[in-house]
Amino acid sequence: MKNRLKVLRAERDWSQAELAGRLDVSRQAVNAIETGKHDPSLPLAFRIARLFDMKIEEIFDDGEAA
Amino acid sequence: MILQKNAQIGPGEARLRKRRRNQIVFLAIAGMIGGLIGFATGAFDQGDGNLFAGDWERLKLPPALALGLVVLLLIGFVAMPIYGFGKIDDYKREHNFIGFTGGCLAVLAGFPVWAALYAGGFAPPPHAFGIFALAYVAMLASFLFARWRL
Repeated sequence: MKNRLKVLRAERDWSQAELAGRLDVSRQAVNAIETGKHDPSLPLAFRIARLFDMKIEEIFDDGEAA
Repeated sequence: MILQKNAQIGPGEARLRKRRRNQIVFLAIAGMIGGLIGFATGAFDQGDGNLFAGDWERLKLPPALALGLVVLLLIGFVAMPIYGFGKIDDYKREHNFIGFTGGCLAVLAGFPVWAALYAGGFAPPPHAFGIFALAYVAMLASFLFARWRL
């Protein structure tokens, strides 16, 4: 699944560690999500969306949108 | 110096550092329990065996110590992993689940395969420690595969 996490993080000048701490996950998890190796759970996707004050579908793209 | 460094980092990094510290404490406690089990079996063994080697049947312990070891083993092999699963994130939990699945499949397939090999005269009869070792090694290999490839 594609996502804009890396861009959103860079816009705020946050390191992966900073974002990981704010989301209460490991830095490895942030890296895996950014590189598309791991899809976050729904609760984590909601936490990410709330942190960036965006909708989930504005951050994640499963390629199925019309 | 450390205070100055902490003042420069964001709230997220500070929280992550605390998370890492907790993980180190968790691992240290697990290591201490492992060391305690190793010390108890090594220092008080009245036979000539080892709990985590093929000659476990020659291990002989005082009954009270044996019961104490059971408690420590249940803490180390059941309680702490379950507690740890609740503390790690989804990504690491997935790695652990893959590891445990690998260990479970190794036993489910390993025992009948080993029994068939024994029946055909290719291997010694299946034994408890062999099955334990099979599960442990398969779990570790599956975890490492998940950790580095997924």
